[in-house]
Amino acid sequence: MNDALHLFPSRTAGPFGRRAKHARGGRIPVTIVTGFLGAGKTTLVRAFLKSPQGRGTAVIVNEFGAIGIDDALVRDSAEATVLLGNGCACCVTRSDLQVALRRLVAERDRGSLPPFARIVIETSGLADPGPILQTFATDRALGAEFHAEVALAVIDAVTGAATLDWSPEARKQVMLADRVVVSKTDLADAAATALLMARLAQLNPRADIAVAVNGALDPDCLIDEADGTRARNNFAAEATHADGIVSFVLTETAPVEWTPFARAMDTLIALRGRDLLRVKGFLDVAGCRGPVLVQFVQHLAHPPVELQAWPDGEPASRLVFITRGLGEAPVRGLFDAVRGVALPDPQQTPTSP
Amino acid sequence: MPTVSLKDSSSTVAWNFKLLAQHELDGFGGMGEGMSIQMARDGRRILWLAHESAPKNFTAVDVSDPRAPKVVVQTDLPQSFMRSNSLETVGDVMAVAYQTQKPGQKPAGFELFDISTPEKPKSIAYVDASGPHSRGVHQLWFCDGEYVHLSSGAPDFKPRNQLDDQFYRSFDVRNPSKPTEVGRWWLPGTRDGDAEPPPVRGKPPHDKGFRAHNTNVYPQRPDRCYLGYIDGGMFILDIADKAHPKAISGWKNSPPYTGFCHTVLPLFERDLLIVTDESTMDDAGDWPKLVWIVDARAEQNLVPIATCPAPNYDAFAKRGGRFGAHNIYENVPRPTGWHSDTIVLGTFFNGGLRAYDIANPYQPKEVAAFVPPGPPGAPHGTIQLNDVFVDERRVVYTVDRHAGGLYILEMDF
Repeated sequence: MNDALHLFPSRTAGPFGRRAKHARGGRIPVTIVTGFLGAGKTTLVRAFLKSPQGRGTAVIVNEFGAIGIDDALVRDSAEATVLLGNGCACCVTRSDLQVALRRLVAERDRGSLPPFARIVIETSGLADPGPILQTFATDRALGAEFHAEVALAVIDAVTGAATLDWSPEARKQVMLADRVVVSKTDLADAAATALLMARLAQLNPRADIAVAVNGALDPDCLIDEADGTRARNNFAAEATHADGIVSFVLTETAPVEWTPFARAMDTLIALRGRDLLRVKGFLDVAGCRGPVLVQFVQHLAHPPVELQAWPDGEPASRLVFITRGLGEAPVRGLFDAVRGVALPDPQQTPTSP
Repeated sequence: MPTVSLKDSSSTVAWNFKLLAQHELDGFGGMGEGMSIQMARDGRRILWLAHESAPKNFTAVDVSDPRAPKVVVQTDLPQSFMRSNSLETVGDVMAVAYQTQKPGQKPAGFELFDISTPEKPKSIAYVDASGPHSRGVHQLWFCDGEYVHLSSGAPDFKPRNQLDDQFYRSFDVRNPSKPTEVGRWWLPGTRDGDAEPPPVRGKPPHDKGFRAHNTNVYPQRPDRCYLGYIDGGMFILDIADKAHPKAISGWKNSPPYTGFCHTVLPLFERDLLIVTDESTMDDAGDWPKLVWIVDARAEQNLVPIATCPAPNYDAFAKRGGRFGAHNIYENVPRPTGWHSDTIVLGTFFNGGLRAYDIANPYQPKEVAAFVPPGPPGAPHGTIQLNDVFVDERRVVYTVDRHAGGLYILEMDF
């Protein structure tokens, strides 16, 4: 991955470069807050900004006037879409978000903006988080500067169930989230809330589901200092949801050889990239000391990051797939087949995927 | 149409650094470029700090608990024209550099102390380096308990140009009560009587002297001295024969840059050198002063391949005081020093403390920054971070040149 390491081998770096304390490395962590209008996104974001964890946070809001956080600055940009990279239609993404992000960093570096160390993006209600996650998914775009740390979906206990019924966007927000926050439980019937929670757990079994009463939420919900390595392992079976979306978790206890893994992902991306809505997890890569965080969104791959150590000292690979119509069996079969034909790597040196 | 809002709750830049404590060192928080950690016999972790200027000589701080630093001892210089800008410790022995404002003043040289009781440093030996053309010792390196490597003048050394008074000297201190000089090296042409022509000097105001600054020697290569030589650039000395050091290669960025080569940090495993300039003029008058990455795979043909991205000129240049590179953490080869070949930490005066990931040395990337507000009493109103040390616990210590004293940080990247 890091070709310069061949010329200048390092005792402390791993094959993917410096071993980072956090997956963000030297990038700015980004929290993406999704949820329908009235779900309580703004209340949560405001509460986060007032918490110690929220110090030095810049907020990007999709809609003008939607939020009244001490407006240090207001920016406009024309609505436009751009084609990224190889022009696949699934990469159509919002250039105004990219422009806003780049301006933030440029103006911070020039000193015309106060320093910030985190960005929270509050999306508009109907936003599909997929293209936003994709914006961060490659260093060709913004992946070298920003790290999508947490995707959070807010859903309110009063109208949430109905919204999930009629809106595929709402379902997708929940399915792609790392965390789901149920708001307004104080206004909802307890039995209805319990039903909603069960439905959310079914839609997204790997996400933590938290409850916010009167907007009171643990601010840690908007950050992830553990980089997902402490994610709950409560439900790993394949699940097929509405809209043909499938989720499953691949686990592996033996160390993973990087080259066959990367080649299998290449194949998967080439054949079904459009259908890989999100692939995220950490691998116990042979030759690496810490977990290697990998993330793919459709056909885009994040640069892998090796962390300094396994949080609980127990290496175990765990990769979450959220796909459109692609189940665990063919994916596992592909990985097994590629591994089966690969020669053993004598140097165990991961190469560029 | 997106709206961007910013919650600015602090004027401190602390990106991927967490501030654990600050100590103004009892009102004498103007600190130099000597930072060394001793593990005292009673188990305390003592950070010894050199002061930038008189009246204080050195200060010891108990940093066993990095969140609650405590001053253990603070000493005075005998003369107001002295400065003890540099120090190092090995075990219970500390070496302290003494420099004077003008040539000929005394005392000038270096002193060894027994610090077995940190509260009561006891002088073991004093080495006189004063002379009609000497300002004594600016900087020293002492990590093996056997030899002190210095940037020093000497009683018998007459430079052609007074700015070139300090050169490389080494002393055997294996018997610490009787240090003996072992060897010398100066840039040929700078001493009165040299056969070589004098060096071509920088155009004023960028004529700061052809003299030694940092004199680093590491156990991985005890036969090499990595020498910053101010306006002469950098040199690698072969010191296999300590009595007869020989320059085997060098690299110089000036002109077109404005001199003042400061530190040469070798990353042995990687065949890289990290070379720093020092900014010495206020308001970026000598900009750009940089941290350079040099390919040293061919030791005799050093090739600069990158610079660490400096803090932004627009943001800092006219903020007040100096702006630009100075000290970096030097992988001090002591059990109490951290070692990394992928992270470079450097101080940039008002640009604060910066950390760079150089896993790919062609593309150094900033991964952390700490810029505190100007402390009370700051002459230019800004912070002027001067030096940085990292202990083996990964605790980072950085000091302000004028008033703010000591800042203790945790790396979070």
